[in-house]
Amino acid sequence: MADRPRMGDELKRMEEEPLLDVEKKLIGWSLIAGVVLLVILVWISYTFFPAH
Amino acid sequence: MATGQAAKGASEDWLSVWIGLLIFVLSLGVFVGADILGWGITTAVWTDLGKALAPVSKAYAGLGGIGSLVATYLFLLVVMTIGAAALKADLGKFVTGFTFVFWASYVCWIVGSWAYLAATADKLKAFGISWSLNLTAEAGFLVALIAGLVVGNLFPGLVEATREAIRPEWYIKTAIVILGGFLGVTAAEKLGLATAVMFRGLCAIIEAYLVYWAVVYFISRRYFKLSREWAAPLASGISICGVSAAIATAGAIKARPIVPIMISSLVVVFSCVELLILPFLAQAFLYTEPMVAGGWMGLAVKTDGAAVASGAITDALIRAKAFTMQGVKYQEGWIVGTTTTVKVFIDVFIGVWAFILAVIWTSAIERRPGERVSPRQIWDRFPKFVIGYVFTFLVILLVGLAAPGSLGKAKAAMGEANVFRGIFFVMTFFTIGALSNFSKLWEEGLGRLAAIYVVCLFGFIIWVGLLVSWIFFHGVKPPLVAG
Repeated sequence: MADRPRMGDELKRMEEEPLLDVEKKLIGWSLIAGVVLLVILVWISYTFFPAH
Repeated sequence: MATGQAAKGASEDWLSVWIGLLIFVLSLGVFVGADILGWGITTAVWTDLGKALAPVSKAYAGLGGIGSLVATYLFLLVVMTIGAAALKADLGKFVTGFTFVFWASYVCWIVGSWAYLAATADKLKAFGISWSLNLTAEAGFLVALIAGLVVGNLFPGLVEATREAIRPEWYIKTAIVILGGFLGVTAAEKLGLATAVMFRGLCAIIEAYLVYWAVVYFISRRYFKLSREWAAPLASGISICGVSAAIATAGAIKARPIVPIMISSLVVVFSCVELLILPFLAQAFLYTEPMVAGGWMGLAVKTDGAAVASGAITDALIRAKAFTMQGVKYQEGWIVGTTTTVKVFIDVFIGVWAFILAVIWTSAIERRPGERVSPRQIWDRFPKFVIGYVFTFLVILLVGLAAPGSLGKAKAAMGEANVFRGIFFVMTFFTIGALSNFSKLWEEGLGRLAAIYVVCLFGFIIWVGLLVSWIFFHGVKPPLVAG
């Protein structure tokens, strides 16, 4: 493993990459979808798949 | 296994299916009166070591404990060495390594079955002892993990010499294929509850992908200034399913191979820490909500091995505590079954998630003109051991539903297969510990990556996982043991 850089050195040298709009959209839509689906899936679970 | 053992031949994934199915099929001999695996070793909780070991079936009692243990070792050595040949591993080193892993793991299992560690409150009188740590026989898993950690951190040369057989993902995937049949029996007895648990498990993992990933990626990029090449695999590693997700994501965004390797090392070490802490937290605070605890292990603990292993320990710890505190005796298997369900569903969608990321990366983030992403990669990244798990689960479930009178035989058959599941489990614990080399990570320069991991895992993922698990599983209780 001597032929590759240490992880620490690699991370120190890392250049900052600004957050692109497409990344912001990916993050935002994931969270929105997560919250909306949570509500829907909880309803489906308790309505159609009761566990009691 | 991602931690440095790229298979050159067949994949560990497919091998775990075939080996798991072999043991499953052999165990089905019980249905036609052929007790093929009855010589498999079992270890009872003991105060007299001489009485601890015995074959699982009385038909093989003449073999004795030691004979049964040696027969089990030889059987697994042959089967796993054939598997290692298919992997194109160095067979000489594999045989040596497997022998070490098997015996070290089984000694840990025997130690963990000592009554002072393992006996539950209702058995103290029978053993003639006044106290025990009440850890159940699964204490052997913890002993194996600690022993593995000692070997991995204090004897790195020994790990290197036996590395061909230090394959926790292979062992746990084989165990999960066998576990499918065991859970099939459980589900056949309570189909409505099993269906609800499976659907809710599917719901819970949607959160793992959509909420976990987005938040970890955002924190990594915005606050820790990681590049996309590091942030995406790290987000998948922390939030989805550890090693395999980090590798799939790195492949999808065309990161350099060193990125998932480094992240995988981090994932394995932190999974080990989770495995040592979370089951005991669950026992302390969730013994009244056993299924929440099971789902939580699946959502919070990364890597298949550590997650299912923590589910197994949680199953034992919570059943012991519920009995001690409430006098309630839950059936074995439902908590680890919930963990496994959640983990398997998470694994199933890794390929889909990697495909989505690949499309976004090639079309919008790092545009590569003319490059198209093939949907075939969804299948390429599909965890094949899930096929074995679903197959054994469905076969036993359908047999149980079609002929309820045969459930007794199914239980006996899966009981024999379960012997081997337990051995694969304990080898998983030992090898997870052996791979968790803390000093190596330190030498690499933990710094920012470990900080992100700690912040996201302990500050966010564990607690959101608990919340999601509570939303879907609170109030759901495993069936009680009859009588």
